[in-house]
Amino acid sequence: MTLFDVVFSGNDTVYGLTESAISDAIAKYGADKAVAFPDTAYSLPCYYAVTGTKVGNLGELKEALGVVKTLMTREQKLNDAFMSGVATALCAEFIEVLKYIDGAVPYEAPCYGHLGDPVIRELGVPLVTGDIPGVAVILGAAPTAEEGVALVKSYQAQGILVTLVGGIIDQCEAQGYKTGANVRVIPLGKDVTSVVHAVSVAIRAALIFGNIQPGDAAGLMEYTMKRVPAFVNAFAPLDAVIVACGAGAIALGFPVITNEETFKVPKSLIVQKDVSKFNATSLEARDIKIKITNIDIPVAFASAFEGEIIRRG
Amino acid sequence: MGNFKLTSVEEFEAATNRLLETGAKVGADAWQFRVKNQTPHCKFGEQGVCCRICSMGPCRITPKAPRGICGCDVHGIVGRNFLRFTAGGSATHSDHGREICHTLHTVAPDGNYKVKDPDKLIRIAKEWGVETEGKNIYDLAHEIAEMALLEYGKPFGTQRFLKRAPEHTQELWAKAEIEPRAIDREVATALHMTHMGCSSKPEALIRQSLRCGLSDGWGGSMCGTEFSDVMFGTPKPLDTEANLGVMKEDYVNIIVHGHDPSLSEMICDYAEDPEMIALAKSVGAKGINVAGVCCTSNEVAMRRGIPMAGNFLQQENVVLTGACEAIVVDVQCIFPALGPLSKCFHTKFITTSPIAQMPDSEFIRFNAETAGENAKLIVRTAVENFKNRKPELVHIPQLKQKATVGYSVEAIVKTLDKVTNSQVDVTGTTKPLIECITSGVLRGAVAMVGCNNPRVRPDSAHIDLMKKLIANDIIVVLSGCSAQAAARAGLMDKEARELCGAGLKRVCELADIPPVLHMGSCVDISRMMILASELAKDSGLNISQLPLVGCAPEWMSEKAVSIGNYVVATGIDTFLGVEPQVTGSSEVVGLLTDGIRDWVEAAYTVEKDIDKLGDLMIQRIEEKRAALGI
Ligand code: SF4
Ligand code: SF4
Repeated sequence: MTLFDVVFSGNDTVYGLTESAISDAIAKYGADKAVAFPDTAYSLPCYYAVTGTKVGNLGELKEALGVVKTLMTREQKLNDAFMSGVATALCAEFIEVLKYIDGAVPYEAPCYGHLGDPVIRELGVPLVTGDIPGVAVILGAAPTAEEGVALVKSYQAQGILVTLVGGIIDQCEAQGYKTGANVRVIPLGKDVTSVVHAVSVAIRAALIFGNIQPGDAAGLMEYTMKRVPAFVNAFAPLDAVIVACGAGAIALGFPVITNEETFKVPKSLIVQKDVSKFNATSLEARDIKIKITNIDIPVAFASAFEGEIIRRG
Repeated sequence: MGNFKLTSVEEFEAATNRLLETGAKVGADAWQFRVKNQTPHCKFGEQGVCCRICSMGPCRITPKAPRGICGCDVHGIVGRNFLRFTAGGSATHSDHGREICHTLHTVAPDGNYKVKDPDKLIRIAKEWGVETEGKNIYDLAHEIAEMALLEYGKPFGTQRFLKRAPEHTQELWAKAEIEPRAIDREVATALHMTHMGCSSKPEALIRQSLRCGLSDGWGGSMCGTEFSDVMFGTPKPLDTEANLGVMKEDYVNIIVHGHDPSLSEMICDYAEDPEMIALAKSVGAKGINVAGVCCTSNEVAMRRGIPMAGNFLQQENVVLTGACEAIVVDVQCIFPALGPLSKCFHTKFITTSPIAQMPDSEFIRFNAETAGENAKLIVRTAVENFKNRKPELVHIPQLKQKATVGYSVEAIVKTLDKVTNSQVDVTGTTKPLIECITSGVLRGAVAMVGCNNPRVRPDSAHIDLMKKLIANDIIVVLSGCSAQAAARAGLMDKEARELCGAGLKRVCELADIPPVLHMGSCVDISRMMILASELAKDSGLNISQLPLVGCAPEWMSEKAVSIGNYVVATGIDTFLGVEPQVTGSSEVVGLLTDGIRDWVEAAYTVEKDIDKLGDLMIQRIEEKRAALGI
């Protein structure tokens, strides 16, 4: 299979799931049932940013899925793969928003799920000033929990904002590694669709700080590519859905670094077998230069720890 | 995005028409009129079925007269004509290469010519098994020059540069018995074979056509390119401008036209000489402006950023501006029409080579030993001619575009190094490009080359095809007049990335390159052969498996046929927008478009509908991808 075929099939899978999830929801609640994420003025932020349309209820969500379908062209071209990646992210956002129906609280500690606008505003300023030099999205389970935690820690020590999706969250827990927005290591969720909450952060940053007009998809992608220093670390094994999400990330300008032997694309899809080198590989791929000089102290030192609560004992 | 806009072929034509008005005022002739006089062309010649190689003829083949007097049938006649056509092109490039080797033999630390890229010289020396340790670089240059000159007439063995090809290609050549021996020998053999009463079997004639082409691409042209780099520097990316608007009204305009950089490089040097600039000022000009036409323009653009005034069918336009003090030429693709045309203006038409002597020109003989004085005299002649300008005739069309040029193989590899990741990749290879192609980000590559030909609306085929290819995520490498068409249109401006598909656009952004890469002059198509070889070696594929094709949409010269033959013989399918004069023989057509595939894994495709030609290239590229499962 070509790389693009993998993307397309991952996109098809997610689309299928989304379609039935929306139908089920309509059957259960009716088309007028309101859908929304908590604490955001941007409706479904990804869909809103890409199309300029707000979605208020299940009926509109179903219509929106029709729009998403139009992005799913199937030529063997990067543009088609990019759009499929975007479509995958939008489907993920739809699946995720369904979890919030009726004010449900679908995520519980340590996972955050959707991040409200106040969190983005709070993180946005240091992102713009470079105090947060990058955003890492870590996806899947590292070969060992130790390696996974070491990677998280290495980013944290550089002041990089870390978001976690899937197995890596359990690995941190198992190692007793402290996570949370206050230390800038944010577990999002264990389903792969929760990765969209990281995308949502980048996209709202573009809307809020980049003054990108909702619906200006090209401007949005240019902004995220040039201004949002995010990157993805995706651990093997990669299934088609993850690859499709990866295409979405690359479309936004975020390189994907993986330890799975797969197709390679310079600066965009990089195979790094040695997880201990993920950090250096990722920073170089995203052209992130760490401003903080390494201070030789025995504990990790960076602005990420500013919000840490020191407990006794 | 700014306000980037391509210059259209319509704008080119409007500019030309305005210049032809000036021409009409002074009674100038132009190719546009001569084409009319020659139309319709003789059908026998067009089909290649006319033979005049002995004085029993001329003979021509018709249904009623199926054989010439000697009994040669149409296939033999067409085949012989094709081989002679090839031999002409091969001889032309190869003699250019030989001149360069001779020039290399004159290099001296305080001489006219120096070694500017010693590393490249040492690399070639090592490749040729020459001891370099502790050797003075100039002694080494002389030694290599002599060895290179022997490549032209060595009694035994095959071309040294063939070793640069992937092993599989070398095996194919050996098996098909088309490995070129001495460069000149292949031309001589071609002429021998095509004599009355020698070869009339199409298969033998086409085989020799390929071998004669290979002696050019992997012999003469490669010598020309490699040793030009040694003496004048290996091109690196740099910015320049293109189209007639690069001529400057208040400057002395010197146009260099032709092929051999030994002349143009020296002219450029003297145009920067303070003494000459002072002289220019004394005659009322602001300074000296050198611009180029045809391949010599590509050479000085690639190495010095000298602006490119125009390509083949623009050469008369340069004079028609009324602002050309001198058009200085050496060899190849120079319209003899420039003589009479320059007489209608104050322009001096300066010929410099005993190889290309023309009526109505001023002949200032140029040679390597006296290059400095010759060039100075030429520049002085041009500058002194400024005062003879007729201001009422001056009109320079204000069309020009920015262009980034200078993509030698070395520069391409360096550019690719910039997108590697030091944690995982090695540098100094073509692997990043291969990764872009295997992943599908780029669908493939097209090498677009060749001339203008009045049979095709000038430049339109080049530009339309390039636009189509880049929109389809196919990267285009260019040389010759094709490259200039691109530059004049604006396709070499980095902002032209906006016209690309998402894949190529992303590549252009990350690598900071324009979507079409200028690889140089016609002899520099040898660079493309090296690039194809490197891609094959770095990917572990055969050249013929790579999603890579060649294209000459507006070709006209014998050189173009020689080039086509070596490109095909290197395993690269080649697409032509102008029919070669072979249509009279089904057997020769069959061989060229299909049969030779058995020998070299590639063949020609001819299609005069340019849009279809583009579709066919894309289709072939996709077929190659499908065969690889990528
Ligand atoms: S070689 Fe044969 S075909 Fe050609 S001109 Fe002589 S007699 Fe005629
Ligand atoms: S491309 Fe053709 S016309 Fe132009 S310089 Fe080369 S051979 Fe001559």
